[in-house]
Amino acid sequence: MSPERPIRGDFWIALTENLKIAVRALRAHKLRTVLTVLGNVVAVMSVIAVVSIIDGLNTYVSEKILEQGLRVIYVAKFGLITDDDAWRLAAKRQDLTQFEAGALQDRMQLAGRVVAQAEANKSVRAGRTELRNVRVLGTTEGYQSVGKYETEEGRALEDSDISRRRSVCVIGSEVSEKLFPQVDPIGKSIRVAGHELLVVGTVVPRGNVLGQSQDNLVVVPLGQFEKMFGARRSLTILVSAIPGVDLERLSDEARVVLRSARHVPLGAPDDFAISTAETYMALYQTLTGGIFAGTIGLVAISLVIGGIVIMNIMLVAVTERTPEIGIRKAVGARRSDLLSQFLSEAVVLAFFGGILGVLCGIAFALLIRAVTPLPASIQPWSVAISLAVASSVGLFFGVYPATRAARLDPIVALRQE
Amino acid sequence: MSAGPSDNSALIDITDIRKVYEMGSTEVNALDGVSLHVRKGEYLAIMGPSGSGKSTLMNIVGCLDTPTSGSYKLRGTEIRERDDDELARIRNQEIGFIFQTFNLLPRADALHNVELPLIYAGRPAKERRERARGMLEMVGLGDRTHHRPNELSGGQRQRVAIARALVNGPSLVLADEPTGNLDSKTGLEIMALLDDISSRGNTVILVTHEEEVAERAHRIVRLRDGRIESDRSTRTAAPSPA
Repeated sequence: MSPERPIRGDFWIALTENLKIAVRALRAHKLRTVLTVLGNVVAVMSVIAVVSIIDGLNTYVSEKILEQGLRVIYVAKFGLITDDDAWRLAAKRQDLTQFEAGALQDRMQLAGRVVAQAEANKSVRAGRTELRNVRVLGTTEGYQSVGKYETEEGRALEDSDISRRRSVCVIGSEVSEKLFPQVDPIGKSIRVAGHELLVVGTVVPRGNVLGQSQDNLVVVPLGQFEKMFGARRSLTILVSAIPGVDLERLSDEARVVLRSARHVPLGAPDDFAISTAETYMALYQTLTGGIFAGTIGLVAISLVIGGIVIMNIMLVAVTERTPEIGIRKAVGARRSDLLSQFLSEAVVLAFFGGILGVLCGIAFALLIRAVTPLPASIQPWSVAISLAVASSVGLFFGVYPATRAARLDPIVALRQE
Repeated sequence: MSAGPSDNSALIDITDIRKVYEMGSTEVNALDGVSLHVRKGEYLAIMGPSGSGKSTLMNIVGCLDTPTSGSYKLRGTEIRERDDDELARIRNQEIGFIFQTFNLLPRADALHNVELPLIYAGRPAKERRERARGMLEMVGLGDRTHHRPNELSGGQRQRVAIARALVNGPSLVLADEPTGNLDSKTGLEIMALLDDISSRGNTVILVTHEEEVAERAHRIVRLRDGRIESDRSTRTAAPSPA
């Protein structure tokens, strides 16, 4: 006998053989195979579905929110407040009034327009028809430059309407359709909180954001708003940037101007809040990040359970196929041959579960896309990562059963029938 | 090859081997000092009642097991202190097994079953298929290559097993009760095939408890209680080794 190793199968022969054996073995027990990989299916499906939904949400929200006012900062009494203590502190702040709006208007170099707004949700009536929960927005001049309020019919609010606090309004398309179906709303009047307002124009439809209509809207001069609902409320001041100025510089300048106007002592925190659409996006993304982290937890649990199930079924397979192991050993299979054979089978099993999971995840994402406005889209990286992780589960949990197979004594294995 | 085997050289050179099993606290001497020499091309039958140690001897000769003490040289190479992987390689290259229960892979067709030793020898797929097909033709199953074991009769299954045993050109064919699960007519056919294989120069060792099967071999070794009871030639022409 030659002492050196004979031409042993190169790696690819072994691999293709092992894959063939694995597929044949798994096809022999179709139902068992499917049940075994359920854990992996759930895990991979969750990853694919959640990633595609979150990605869809992100796309959607950034399109819808960022398009509203990318070039605007919002100065308000309350900004983005996420906890009680911050809220209590903010509640002690002074209201923002026309005084602050005037200060910003007068002293800021980088500001395009400064617009002060107040809003309330109120009922709106025309004749016998009443609409509840309409967003009533009181605004100063220039509101069209800080938001999407293009005129569809009639005219916009003019500076004189605003400065003279006229009882006029422009209405959103939803209000128009519901209060004046098949009638031209221009020149008609509506009643808000007992005050009669003349409709002078309508606003181009702005669509939905997260299922909420943006067209359920009545815009009135701020002075008129205060006549209707009182002046004791804090305003939101919107500041647009002049060309070439980014929102960070704009925010900085607004902060300096407001602190000096309100005599905030050096070192004391701001007694107002400045935010941008991006601030809201950032908060939103922290939120979806949290959802994603929760999913990872769920996925990890499913994978461990899935892995244990795979390990058990592989142990069953090793016991069932003890005679086969004996035969293979008798004709010359080494331990490593059987180790890699059963490891391949576990990995193929887990990978198959991953594929099923990908298909279910895609189906789920498509369903979401079909029945909701979310543009849920499959992320190739999530498919790649979850398949890789699912397969490694097979590798990891396959080691023990495969080692058992590899260590079987051929005589004992052959004796078992 | 170390010994450059001529027709007269020893293929199997077993000297005073013992195999001790521990059954709880007692020790069982399955083989108790057996010496056996087999030359290349011999046709040998091993007989003995159950518990005589013939299965143990068979396993050791087939490199499925190693003796507790003594020396076993196959083609001049000491087998006793080989590790698992080396024994696997020797089984793959040097030994062809034929079992009483055929021991075919149930889910694989005849061709794949015959290919099996070549897979572990690392031969490429095309060569494997050609050699396996050739072997199946030799045992008369050229038209059954894609039948699974459960689609074949007992005799056909044993023919597949014989093809598998021979496919890698072993120096030794070991048949353990090859007719034990067959009716007598089919058994005769299988024995005729084994005779034919022997006559082509293969070394064949047969384990059986049937006298008429053993009589077909050229030499009969009888075991009892782990020792060789007798060792005789069945033909006057063939010289028995000392």
